Amino acid sequence: MRRFCEECLDAAVAAGATYSDVRVTDTLTQALSVRNGVVEGVSSGSSFGFGVRVIADGAWGFAASSEVTSESAARIARQAVAIARASATVGARPIALSPLEAHTDRWAGPCAIDPFSVSTDDKLKVLFDADAAMRAQKGISLTTGSMSFLRERKTFASSDGAFIEQEWVESSAGIACYAIGEGDVVTRSYPNSHGGACYQGGWETIAALDLAGNAPHIAEQAVQLLAAPLCPKSTTSLILDGSQLGLQVHESVGHPTELDRVLGDEAAFAGTSWVKPGDLDTLRYGSSAVTITADATVVGSLGSFGYDDEGVPAKREYLVRDGILTGFLSSRESAAAIGRQSSGAMRADGWARTPLVRMTTVSLEPGDAGTLEDLIADTDEGVYMETNESWSIDDRRLNFQFGCEIGWEIKGGERGRMLRNPVYTGITPEFWGACDAVCSRSEWRVWGLDNCGKGEPMQVAHVAHGAAPARFRNVRIGVGR
Amino acid sequence: MIDTTRARALAEEALGFASDAGAEQAEALVVATDGALTRFAGNRIHQNMQNEDTEVSVRAVVGTRIGVASTNRVDPEGLEACCRAAAEAARLAPEDPSFPGLPGPRPTVEADRMAAGTLGFDAEARAAAAGSLIAATAAAGGVAAGGVARDHTVTAVANSLGIHVAMARTSVRVTVLATGAAGGTGWASFTGLDAQELDAAAMGAFAAETARLSADPIEVDAGTYTVVLAPEAVANIAQFLAWYGCSAKSVDEGRSFMSGKLGQRVTSPAITLIDDALRASAVGLTFDYEGQPKTRVTLIDAGVAATPVTDSYWAARTGRPNTGHALPAPNAQGPLPLDVAIEPGDATRESLIASVRRGIYVTRFHYVNIEDPTRVTLTGMTRNGTFLIEDGVLTRPVKDLRFTQPALEALDTTLGVSKQRQLVGDEGAALVPYLLLERFTFTGRTA
Repeated sequence: MRRFCEECLDAAVAAGATYSDVRVTDTLTQALSVRNGVVEGVSSGSSFGFGVRVIADGAWGFAASSEVTSESAARIARQAVAIARASATVGARPIALSPLEAHTDRWAGPCAIDPFSVSTDDKLKVLFDADAAMRAQKGISLTTGSMSFLRERKTFASSDGAFIEQEWVESSAGIACYAIGEGDVVTRSYPNSHGGACYQGGWETIAALDLAGNAPHIAEQAVQLLAAPLCPKSTTSLILDGSQLGLQVHESVGHPTELDRVLGDEAAFAGTSWVKPGDLDTLRYGSSAVTITADATVVGSLGSFGYDDEGVPAKREYLVRDGILTGFLSSRESAAAIGRQSSGAMRADGWARTPLVRMTTVSLEPGDAGTLEDLIADTDEGVYMETNESWSIDDRRLNFQFGCEIGWEIKGGERGRMLRNPVYTGITPEFWGACDAVCSRSEWRVWGLDNCGKGEPMQVAHVAHGAAPARFRNVRIGVGR
Repeated sequence: MIDTTRARALAEEALGFASDAGAEQAEALVVATDGALTRFAGNRIHQNMQNEDTEVSVRAVVGTRIGVASTNRVDPEGLEACCRAAAEAARLAPEDPSFPGLPGPRPTVEADRMAAGTLGFDAEARAAAAGSLIAATAAAGGVAAGGVARDHTVTAVANSLGIHVAMARTSVRVTVLATGAAGGTGWASFTGLDAQELDAAAMGAFAAETARLSADPIEVDAGTYTVVLAPEAVANIAQFLAWYGCSAKSVDEGRSFMSGKLGQRVTSPAITLIDDALRASAVGLTFDYEGQPKTRVTLIDAGVAATPVTDSYWAARTGRPNTGHALPAPNAQGPLPLDVAIEPGDATRESLIASVRRGIYVTRFHYVNIEDPTRVTLTGMTRNGTFLIEDGVLTRPVKDLRFTQPALEALDTTLGVSKQRQLVGDEGAALVPYLLLERFTFTGRTA
C-alpha cells in the first residue's frame, strides 16, 4: 500500500500540487434486522477505494476512485490537481495549514471478539430472544431489533511524509417496541433509540447489552405509556437522562463549536454558529457546572482514533470549561485561520469524501450530584425525560426542540406519573446557563451515535458523547400542546 | 464511468455467480456513479471534488431465505465473492414464509434522462457557475455560500426471473445562500437534468436581493398565523407526508396517518399529492430497485387519503397492486414514494400574498423533524427570507421562527395553491407549488 500511496503523491506533485495526501480505505460491514419475529434483512457489504486531496494554485481539489491501480493513482491525482486549479479561479486566497509533525505509525482500536467471526445464527438468536420477550407483553403491536458491524482499514499518507495505518471494529445493536392505539403510536427503545448502542469494539460489547433481559421492561413501559397523559405545557425543572443529554451536547455544543461552521464554510447547508472566533476564552456558554471536552482517546468510543484524516494525533481538549468557551473542533486549515493548532477533528465518511471538521467524543464531564435518584430527590417539581425521539435546531444552533420517548413528573423529590410525548425547547446559552446539577461519574457513560450528518455530498460520521443525567431550571416543556 | 450496456453485463455476470453459489433466485442491482460537487463559502471555492464508483448488490434467495451482499470490487473475483456471501447469508437466514419470491418482468419505460450539457459540466464550468452565483452578493458587500453539484448515474437491475432494465441519468443541483452586508440572508436553488437550463446569475441576484430585504428583522410573537409557504418549505411538508405516511408498510403497521383512514378526508380538497416518476420534470428512475415499473400513484386525492405505494413484498402482503416503489434490498423502510408532487392550483405567488391581511411569508424551513407520525406533527425553523405580510404586501423581515404543527391540520386550512411549481431537492426531489394556509402555528423564535 505504501507504494500505491507514493504513486498518488508523486503524481500530484508532478502535476503541480504544493500539498497532497491520500487515504486508502477498505470497509467491511454486516447488518441484521428482525421485525415482529421475522428476519427483515441479513446483509454484508464491502467498499474499497482511495481519495487524493491536494492544494494547487492555492486552492483545494479532491478526487476519488474505487479503481485502486497504478493507472488510477496517476489519473486521480492529476484530476485532483485540475479540480484545485479550477477552484483557484474563484476568490482563492492562500491556504495556510497549522504545523504538524509527520508521523509514521500503526493504530488499532479495541476488539476482544471479532464480530465477523460470530455466526449469523448466534447473532440472530440474540435478536429473536429479545424480540420474543417484547412480544410477550400484551399490547405491543410492533417489535424491531437490529445489529450492525463494521471493520475499517485505512492508510493515510501525505506529501509532508506521514504514513499511518489504522484499523478498528464497530459494533451496534438495539431493540424497540411500539404500542399503537387510537391515533397514537408510542415507542420504547433499549439501550437507546435510532439503532441502539454503538461501540468501538467487538462482539463482547453486544453480549454485554443483555437485550433479552431488558426487553420485558421496555415493553411494559410502552404499554403503560400509551395510556399515560400527554406531557403538559409548562416551564419547569427538567432532568435529562444521559442518552438524551448526549444528543443535546451533540446538537447544541458539538456542532456550534465546529470551527468550519464558525467560519462560515457550512453556511449554505447545515448552517453557521452562534459562536464567533473572538469568543474564545470569554464567552459564557453555560453555568459553572458545565464542562465539555472533545476527546478522541476514549477507549471503546465511536469517536476515537489514533490519527485524524489529516494525520493529526488524537487529542483530548476542553471546548467549555466551567461554563466558558475554551476551544473549537478544528482542522489544520481552520485552526490556522484563527492562529491555533488543529484539534485533530478532520474525519471523512469513507474513501470517496473529503474530510470535514467532525466531532470525536464530545462529553459533558460528570459533576457531583450523585445518582439519578439523588438528583430526582433533590428536585421539588419538574419532569424527567429519557431516550430521544426527535430533534431539531436552527441554523445557528440556538433555538432547539427535542422530543423524548418517555417522561415522568417529579413532585416533592419523587418520580410520579408517566408522561407521553414529552417535548422541551430552549435557546442554547440560556439552557446551558440554567444547568445547576450534573450527576457523578458513577452515572456517566459514553453513548455512540452513528448517524451524524454533515456536508455535501452528505457524510455520516460516527461520533460519541459521554454524559451523566443533569438538571436544567426553567425549561419550556409540552411545546405545541 | 461505465455505460448501461456494461452495467447490464455486470448484473448478468452477478446472476451467473449467484446461481453457481446455490441461489435458487437472485437479483442484481448495479449502481455506477460519477459525482462532482463544487462548494463555495466566503466568496471563494473551499471544497471541490469528484468521485467515481461502481457498486453491485446481490439478493440471493434459497427457499424463502434471503441474503444480501454488496461490493465495489467488480472484477470477476470480487463479484463471485459477493455472490457467495449473499448465498451463504441466505442459507443461514431463517425462513420467511411471507416472502412472495422475486417479482417477474413487467413492461418498463427506460426514460432518457441524460443531458449532454450536464456531462460536460466540468470543474471549470462549475467554477464559472459558482462565480456567477457569488457575483451579486459580493458586489453588494456580502458573502455567498452554496454548491454546484452534477451527477451522472447508471443503474441496472436484473433478476433470475427475466428482469433486465437499465437507465442512465444526469442531474444538477445548485444552491446559493447570500448573506448581505447588513446581515440579512437570501436563498435560491435549482434542480434539473440539464446544466444548460441553469441561470446562475439570476439565482445569485435573487438571493442577494432577498438578503437585502431580510436585513434588520423585527420580532413577532409566537402564535398561529396565516402563511404563504414558498416551494422549498412546501417540499418539506410533502416529503414528510409521503415518506412517513404513504407507504403500505407504515399504513399496515398502524404508524401512518392513512392507517384506518383510507377514503377519508385528511386535508383540504385543494390538496392532491401524487407520486409520478414518469412525469416530464422528474429526475429519478422510472423503475424501482426490483426492476418493476414505477406507476403514477395518487396518495391524497383532493384531500382524501387515497393509495399508499407498494413493492413486491408489501403488494403481496396487503393484496394491493405492485406500484413499483421498492428501495434497494434489504429494506427496513418498506416502499417509498420518491417522486412526489402537489398538483398545481390556479393562483400566483403574488395573488396568494395579496390575499393575506396579516401573515407570514416563509422562504424555506431548516432541520424539520417529525414529533408524531400519526398526526405528522412537524417542527423546524424558518430560514433565509421570512417576512411579515401586511395588507397583501411583504412589509418587513421577521426573526426566524420555530413551528410545531400537525401537517395535515395545516393543509386542511389551505386557501390557495399556485400554478407555478418548483422542483426541490436532489434524490427524492419534490415538485411543489406555493401554498396559502390559513392557520400555521409558530411556537418560538430564535434568539
